[in-house]
Amino acid sequence: MKDLKHLYYFEQLLDDANNELVRKAQAQGRKCVGSVCYQIPEVLLELPGIFPVRLRAPRTGSIDMGTYYLTSFLCEYTRALLERALEGGYRFLDCLIAPDGCTMINRCVENMELLKTMDKEGFFFKYLEVPMKVDENALNLYVSECRTKILGALSEHFGIDTSDGALRKAVSDFNRVCRIINEIGDFRKEENPRITGYEFHVICMATYVCPKDMLVGMLEETLEEIKTREPDSKKKYRARVALVGSEIDDIDMVKLVEESGALVVADRFCFGSLPGRKEIRLSDTEDALTGICRHYMTESLCPRQMNISKVLYRKEYINQIAKEYNADGIIVEQMKFCDPWAYERMTSTYALREDYHYPVLSIDRPYAVGNSGQLRTRVQAFVESIEIKKIQGVSKK
Amino acid sequence: MGRKIGSEKLGNLYSGGKVRKRREWRGLKDTLYDYWRWLKIMGMLAGFMMKPANLKGFLRYRWMLNYLAVPQMIDRHTAGLRGTHLRIAREEYDLVAKDVALLLTRVFRADKNCGNDKEFSKKIVVLDENEMFHIMCGFPNLMAVSWETAAVYVSVLLRGDGVTHYLDVVQEMGMPGDVCPMPAAEAGVCIDDDIPIFGACAIQCNTTCDGSLLGNAILAKRYEEEGIPTFQIAAPLRHTEEGVQEYAAQEIRNAIKFIEENTGEKWDWDAYFRCAKRFNEETRHRVGWMEMSRTEYPQVIGANLALYSETTYMAVAGRSQEFVEADRRITALAKKAFERKEMIIPEYRHRAIIWGVQAQYYTDFLPWLQNCWGILPLVDMLSLVYFDEISEDDPEQAIYDIAKLYQEMIMRNRTHGGYELLLDDLWRFVEYYNADLVILWEHISCKALNGMHGLFEERAREHGVRLIWVNHDLMDPRVVSRQSIRDDINRYMRSVLHEEPLDPSLEVIDDAMSW
Repeated sequence: MKDLKHLYYFEQLLDDANNELVRKAQAQGRKCVGSVCYQIPEVLLELPGIFPVRLRAPRTGSIDMGTYYLTSFLCEYTRALLERALEGGYRFLDCLIAPDGCTMINRCVENMELLKTMDKEGFFFKYLEVPMKVDENALNLYVSECRTKILGALSEHFGIDTSDGALRKAVSDFNRVCRIINEIGDFRKEENPRITGYEFHVICMATYVCPKDMLVGMLEETLEEIKTREPDSKKKYRARVALVGSEIDDIDMVKLVEESGALVVADRFCFGSLPGRKEIRLSDTEDALTGICRHYMTESLCPRQMNISKVLYRKEYINQIAKEYNADGIIVEQMKFCDPWAYERMTSTYALREDYHYPVLSIDRPYAVGNSGQLRTRVQAFVESIEIKKIQGVSKK
Repeated sequence: MGRKIGSEKLGNLYSGGKVRKRREWRGLKDTLYDYWRWLKIMGMLAGFMMKPANLKGFLRYRWMLNYLAVPQMIDRHTAGLRGTHLRIAREEYDLVAKDVALLLTRVFRADKNCGNDKEFSKKIVVLDENEMFHIMCGFPNLMAVSWETAAVYVSVLLRGDGVTHYLDVVQEMGMPGDVCPMPAAEAGVCIDDDIPIFGACAIQCNTTCDGSLLGNAILAKRYEEEGIPTFQIAAPLRHTEEGVQEYAAQEIRNAIKFIEENTGEKWDWDAYFRCAKRFNEETRHRVGWMEMSRTEYPQVIGANLALYSETTYMAVAGRSQEFVEADRRITALAKKAFERKEMIIPEYRHRAIIWGVQAQYYTDFLPWLQNCWGILPLVDMLSLVYFDEISEDDPEQAIYDIAKLYQEMIMRNRTHGGYELLLDDLWRFVEYYNADLVILWEHISCKALNGMHGLFEERAREHGVRLIWVNHDLMDPRVVSRQSIRDDINRYMRSVLHEEPLDPSLEVIDDAMSW
């Protein structure tokens, strides 16, 4: 297929947390808010005068310092983030707002704070209580926490307009980007898609780590480009897979899967589009903040939401996207040493195989996948097993 | 060996097998006293086994085999004790043993696999092991029963490798080995179908940690399949913040309503406030013992404090007058011993704060510290819970009190809620208790604790406090053995402090197979 015009530029943006667009936005006087989790509603950080950057540690090599402080038993994402912070890689941030969500990310951010890794004058950290269930009580808590610790803090420190009108405008702009991303992503449903999973991952991730308003023009151009893009005459993949699990901000992961014979048609992981790029629907009967919180609470697929209906729904959701994107199989992955996804991977793998009858590859992986021979072998074997099942005519259900 | 403290070389009792070569000789008076208490325990166990449902449970559930080790568990925790301190320990452990026997009797009577007493089962609310039982104080006609406590928590207390089979089961299902073994073992019991089925409803809670929260989902699914409706209390993590208290209180109101709807019972404020008074008295006793530990003559310390406090604070939670009576007796004993300046061990070399989460398979590590190296484990993190008193007459305040207790569950009150509670508070306690040493249990699968590892070391250096790391894996002795735990101390004491042990026979003991 013909190379996408902006793909190389998007890849370059992902090479550095303090990328060109981040620097440009800060040079305009906008404040950069660091974020580490879906449960800090991204759209609240996109009000005029601020923009969010979801933290990554691209080109991570050694994580020895992070490991010293956090030990080798904490997930590699958190260790990589702390390592990068200790190296000074996040000093461009103006504040960091984190949930007291999973224990590891909480400890990571606390270490960043205590080790004084961000030394800008006026830098602040905030820790939010976030819902562990989906009900009205949790919604009230979420709204209260977001009001005080996000909107209140941003207003107090940076003079940001946090009015209902400003929030609605931010949602409108956010939805615009979501529509583009989803429209690009929908091309993966085709029999011979005109976009690869890797290309989509790069495009989607760029929207997490750059000011979206500076990307939107290029995104629209990319969409138009893809609409007329000719797919390869011969399919380069042998199996279509949905990639599901914990955070993947390493573009090499999806690349590795696709170099092993699979095509990643659906991305249900943190830094992915499902559900991270679902449009937010606000109503006129409640204020914007409540509507936003309701959206993030309801749509969240974090394993830390514990009510049984949500536990079961997460498995059903994977089934729905697998059908929607015509996936032949599912790869359930987790970051090594991630507790929430350890449980979720186990139960999802079981349910998807036994209840939904999907071929499932269940793996754990390091933060920086690189060119992992082990993972490559696992995915290759999985692809072969799917092919064999197809030949043998084994039905999915 | 004899009636003097330190007269028995305790390491010589170990044979390499399951039981010791002989029981400790503590002099005529103390041995007779100890033997009499041992007979009472054996009598209680015999009485327990006479009930048909209990016998059925013993034969049905693999984890019940661990209960053969009850007497040995008490012996391990009373090793080296004489006089008052022996009596304090026996007051505590014997009552806890009796309470667990009652718990098991209720489990098996109601369990559909054993007694199958459906009417009795309708009076039971199933609670998690790592959850405050305080919510049941307002339901005097209902019983709070936790099969997890019996199957997992107590099992490992009795036999270090008591739940390794269930860990293997859950890991064969695909669970990585780095998660906390406690919720993993609970999930393993469920997956292995070794779970008693009973109860009108279940109340789960996200305490202690992510592991509990996540493992509960596996149990909740099983409960729902068995027709046991389940409610999950989400106790906020930022428990010191005012902004979460209303949410926490509403969770409690919702849970109470759920119990009422599923049992037909109504919340009883009179019953609740009777519990509240008991709970406050228990708090005063515990705080009093810990205050005594600030002096040169601490009396209720180490395992005597740790295990008992967990039971009274979390599992009893003011519901039992028997525990209040025991507390009074313990306080009376402790006061007399304090006035007489009685020592627990022959020589006090170090005063230690025990921080972190204990190894459940080696809770008698604290008596070992005393006996082997003369280190007094003054207080432990799990005992440093709620010090305040709860309301004894205001219904509105009471809901907030219950909510606070749920948030400040043992261990969790420090591992969650911000680094100040885990990291900063430690140095304040070191100063408060006039300690010169910190023994820091590093449960290697506990991400909340591990996540502060580097900062603990930096802060210890800044404060000039000696800190000894003791690694373990909570409920899996295969990962870190008991001897390895001892070696963490032995190495430090010899290499850094250049000390010789009080009882050299305890430095290296062959207790890998021991009950």
